[in-house]
Amino acid sequence: MIIVLLPLGHFLLGVLSLLWQRGARRLFPFALLADASLIGTLWVRVAGGTSASIVLGGWGRDLGIELSADRIGLAFSTLALILAIAVTAYLWKERLRPYFYVLLHFLLASVFALVFARDLFNIYVIIELLTLVSFLLVGYERKAQQIWASLNYLILAALGMAMYLFGVGIIYYHTGTLNLTLLAERIIGMHDQMWLITASTLLVVGVSIKAGVFVFSLWLPAAHASASPAVSALLSGLVIKMGVVVLLRLSTVLDISLPLIVMGGLTGVVGAVYAMFTYELKRLLAFSTLSQIGYLLIGIGIGTPLAIAGSISYAVAHGLFKGLLFLAAGQVVHTTGSAFIPQQVARREKIPRATRIALLVGTLAIAGLPPLAGFCAKGLLSAATHSLAIHLLLVFVSLGTVISFSKLVPLLDPWRGGSDEGAKTISYGILALSIIAFLPLSFLFDGRIQVLSSLSLLHAGESIAIIAAGLLAHHVLRRHYTRLPQRIFRLEEAILTILSMFFVTFLLLAFF
Amino acid sequence: MESINGIMIAIVLFGIGIFALIIRRDLVIKLLALGLIDSSSVLFLVSLNAEGDGIAPILYGPLAANYVDPLPQALVISAIVINFSLLALALVFVMLLVERYHTTDSVRIAHEVEKERQS
Repeated sequence: MIIVLLPLGHFLLGVLSLLWQRGARRLFPFALLADASLIGTLWVRVAGGTSASIVLGGWGRDLGIELSADRIGLAFSTLALILAIAVTAYLWKERLRPYFYVLLHFLLASVFALVFARDLFNIYVIIELLTLVSFLLVGYERKAQQIWASLNYLILAALGMAMYLFGVGIIYYHTGTLNLTLLAERIIGMHDQMWLITASTLLVVGVSIKAGVFVFSLWLPAAHASASPAVSALLSGLVIKMGVVVLLRLSTVLDISLPLIVMGGLTGVVGAVYAMFTYELKRLLAFSTLSQIGYLLIGIGIGTPLAIAGSISYAVAHGLFKGLLFLAAGQVVHTTGSAFIPQQVARREKIPRATRIALLVGTLAIAGLPPLAGFCAKGLLSAATHSLAIHLLLVFVSLGTVISFSKLVPLLDPWRGGSDEGAKTISYGILALSIIAFLPLSFLFDGRIQVLSSLSLLHAGESIAIIAAGLLAHHVLRRHYTRLPQRIFRLEEAILTILSMFFVTFLLLAFF
Repeated sequence: MESINGIMIAIVLFGIGIFALIIRRDLVIKLLALGLIDSSSVLFLVSLNAEGDGIAPILYGPLAANYVDPLPQALVISAIVINFSLLALALVFVMLLVERYHTTDSVRIAHEVEKERQS
């Protein structure tokens, strides 16, 4: 029941806010409160071992739509809840049109529906809904830049979902089911059939366009950099992760680990390199999102329980600190009046102190400083990798992250001047506290012993060494600024890249 | 015409759509191409599961054995509605862009937007 109530309730509340516009803002916190209690109940039930799953329509699994709550889905719904609370606190004093809250309701509804979905076609419908809402959110302020970014996003996403639909068609034709659990049973021993390989390629490529994988999601930097800060925080923290959740669900059924590892490595490295050479604050954060998706894909690709646990906790951790960074960055851009880091440093006195502390916490977390969220998740992931090449790749991505965020160091000094006027302390506080409390909270998700035993002093030392090396490398590299090619982010080139990567993915699946 | 079936037409339509999406600069034509791609996926889903001489799964008269599977046809209704709303939204976006820049040329719009971002 509760699983149905979470998404459906938000849809109804969205419609209600549309009808009763004056109360939309007041209604929203109560809706979040209700969510919190429902998600809490589900956590208790799942932790107690009772299965929380339901097949809608009374037709049984092969025809009905199955919704099922597990730890993965619940971890993401908790992330959605925390981000929604922080964003609400951030926007509380601003006079927004009620329409914005309607969109937030629909966004949360589709997120909750997606994390519990177990049916290929249901996933298709919900992803389309989610992206429809995110187009509207990106273009919310109706600036030409945002609308153009949103339109590019729309065209690429529609192309991806058409591919996904082709894949769904092939799978249904050969197996007669769309339910993921049934599908896993029916395709045992068929992994080298040509139709299955084609279908897997279509599904993976279609979802990857939404999931923020570098070679597929070339719309992402423009969309995330141009949207308003609260929207960027939600998109980068939450919506991108939904693509990753779908990839995770697919990887439990289809044999797609090799393309995921290859795509993850590529995304991590290229995203980190682009982030290093970008001096526009929000664009830097968007590129860093791309590079962090690399971690998640590598974890999913490895596929052992520990690696998947690492992936999920990194996804949640990244949602928290990237949300915090985007919210704080929005205020930095607003108070200094410039989108570029050098100008912001010149006018740093104007930035409120709370914003600088928030930026500091977010930067330390993304760099992987030991007790914070980023370290915990990275530690789990690197404990799960046994191959030296992948381990080096992860180290390179972390190093790239530290180098690119070293540019922010002059902005961060919390003691220099600055007023507290207009600071969004509550919003930052919620996210910062959850970043700090992430390590004990992750016991909920995974057994305490497993978490503690995989986070050794060795990892802590490695993290600190990476941070030190990154700061050093930044001082060497900052004299050698190069402008990387921006042409690939244009629409036509993006489509060509997607097509060529489609064939690469197909070859990887077919011949290795 | 035994050799031409819905699946082949769908794949050809998909190819034409992608081709037009890449080489045409006009945004409205790009959206038409997108519509073509969406329709091709719908056609593919329906015709893949409706091979041979099956009849439409509508109950009239006595039950026949050779109904085609009704599920894909139920699925594509959702797909059609979703694609319709996506295209409608995309056209609104194009309209707003045309009001601002007075052109539907994607390359010129991209250029103008980039110029604004740098300043």
